[in-house]
Amino acid sequence: MDPLVQGLKQGIVVEQVTKTYGDRNVVDSLSFQACPGRVTGFLGPNGSGKSTTMKIMLDLAKADHGSVTVAGARYRDLPDPTAVVGALLEANAFHPGRSGRNHLRILADAAGVSRDRVDEVLGQVGLDDAADRRVGAYSLGMRQRLGFAGAVLGDPPVLVLDEPANGLDPMGIHEMREMLRSLAADGCTVLVSSHLLAEVELLVDDLVVINRGRLVASGTLAELREEATWVRSPAIEQLSSVVQGAGGVVDPADGGLVVRGLAIEEIGQLVCDAGIALHELSSHAGSLEERFLRWTSSPDAEDSEEVAP
Amino acid sequence: MIGVPLLRSELRKLATTRMPLAFVAVLAVIAAVNAAAVTWGTDFDGSKTFVSTSADQRSLIAFGSNAVIIAGLFGAIAVAREYGHGTVIPTFLSSPRRHRAVLAQYGAVATGGALIGLVGAALTVLAVALALTTTEFSFMVSTAGVVRVLAAATYAGAAGAVLGAGIGAVVRNAGGAVTGTVLALIVAPPLTVQLINDASSWVPAPLAIALAGVDPEAASVERLPNAFGAMVVLAMWALVPALIGMVTVGRRDVV
Repeated sequence: MDPLVQGLKQGIVVEQVTKTYGDRNVVDSLSFQACPGRVTGFLGPNGSGKSTTMKIMLDLAKADHGSVTVAGARYRDLPDPTAVVGALLEANAFHPGRSGRNHLRILADAAGVSRDRVDEVLGQVGLDDAADRRVGAYSLGMRQRLGFAGAVLGDPPVLVLDEPANGLDPMGIHEMREMLRSLAADGCTVLVSSHLLAEVELLVDDLVVINRGRLVASGTLAELREEATWVRSPAIEQLSSVVQGAGGVVDPADGGLVVRGLAIEEIGQLVCDAGIALHELSSHAGSLEERFLRWTSSPDAEDSEEVAP
Repeated sequence: MIGVPLLRSELRKLATTRMPLAFVAVLAVIAAVNAAAVTWGTDFDGSKTFVSTSADQRSLIAFGSNAVIIAGLFGAIAVAREYGHGTVIPTFLSSPRRHRAVLAQYGAVATGGALIGLVGAALTVLAVALALTTTEFSFMVSTAGVVRVLAAATYAGAAGAVLGAGIGAVVRNAGGAVTGTVLALIVAPPLTVQLINDASSWVPAPLAIALAGVDPEAASVERLPNAFGAMVVLAMWALVPALIGMVTVGRRDVV
C-alpha cells in the first residue's frame, strides 16, 4: 500500500513534545492524536502552547524533545506537503496591498495548483465578488475566509486550523462548521483550535485540552461531558466521605454532589454498600465552559484531571 | 535546486504589490536629477568639462553604484516584509526545507534588482543623452560602452538585491533591514577604507564603476580593479550576507 495512504490512517500524532523558550516550558511532554474522519478540538487558555504546538507540527518551530508526524511522516519529509496538509495559522498573514486572488495565486504557484482551483476555492468561501479587492480592505471575517481558502487550496486530507472562526459572523461560523464536518465525514483529519467553547461543542468529535503546555484532558466530547455524576442524598457528608475514600473527587453543588473519577455504577455500589439513602443518581453532562474553567484554572489541575481517550 | 514553482511564486509576490512602482519612481527621479545636472550644472570655472569627453559622460551614466544601493534596499524590504506580514508562513509550508524557499526569494529579488539596475541605467542614459542636446556637447559614449554600462548596472543591481535580501532575512523587520543595508552599503565602506586604505577599490561603489569600464581618472579614483575581479568581489559582497541569512532562516523558529 502507498505509504502516504497508510500514513493518512494515523492522522496527526504528537508524541512527548517539549518546547522551551528561555526558562519557560511552552509545551511540556505533550502527547495526543488527531484521527482521520474526526474533528478534533484543541483547547487551552491564551499562552497555553496551542499555536506553538501547531507550528511544531508544521515544522515552523523545532521541538526540543519529542516528535510529530502528520500522515505518518514528519512534515518536512512529506513529498508534497501542501497536497497533504492545509493550514490556517494567522488571520492576518497577508500583504494588505495584494488582492485576495493574487494571494491565492501565489500559494497556488508554490504548490503547483491550477488557477482554476483558485477560482473554485474563492467561490467555496464566498469571496468571488471581493477577490480582486486589496486584502487591506477586507474585514477580519473575510480574511479568515481567505486564509481558509488558502488552507484547502491543495485539497488536503489533513487540516490544521488555528482559531478559524475568529471574526466570522454567525452565518460564516455555520458555513465553516458545515464545511469542516463535511470534510471530516469524507475522511479528513481536522484539528481546530478555538476559544469559542459553544462553537467547539457543536463542531468537534474529540477534544484535546492543554494548560501551560501540558495535556489536561483528552477524549471524545461525549466522554468528557458525561464524565461527572450528580448525586443527592440526605446524608451528604457521609456520602462525600465514602466517595472520596474510593478515589472520587467531589464538588458540592445545589445541595448535592458532583462526583468525578468514578463511574456511575461504582458510585451506586459504594452508596448501596454503605447503606446511604439516595434521592438522585444521574449522569451530569456539565457545560464545556464549566469543565474548561476547571481544567485550566487550577495550577494542579493538569495532574488531576487527565482523561484518557 | 530552487524549483520553478517556488521561483514563480516569489516573482508573483514582487509583481503584485505597488513596491516596484515606487522603485521605478525613484529611478525616474535619479535620471531627472542627472539630466538637470547636465543641463544646468557647471564645473568650478563655469564650463561643462564634466561632460566634455566620452570618459566623463560614461562616468556620469555609470549607474552601477546607485543600482547596488537602490536594489539593496529593494531586496531588504522585499524579504523583511515577508516576515512582517506573515506571508513567509505559507512559503515555508510549501517548502519546509527552507533553504529552497530562501533560494527562490533570492532568485526573485535578484531578478527584480537586475531590472532595477537595467531600467535605472537606461533611464539615466536616456536622460543624459537628451540633456546633452541643450549643451555644446553631443552624446559621445559608444554603443559598446552603453551596453557595458547597462550590463554593469544589471549585475550590480542583482548583487545589491541579494545583499539586501540576506540582511532582510536576518533582521526580519523592514525598518531594521533598511537600516542594516544602509549601514552595509553607505556607512561601512568609507569607514573600512579609512581603516584599511588598500580596501578602497574593493567596496561596492568602485566595484560597480569598474564593471562599467569607467576610466579611473574620470571617476576621480586612484585605481580600479579589472572587470572580472570586480564581478567576483561584488558577488562576495552579496553572497556573504545571503549565506548568513539562509543559515539563520534555517535554524530559527517562525514566530
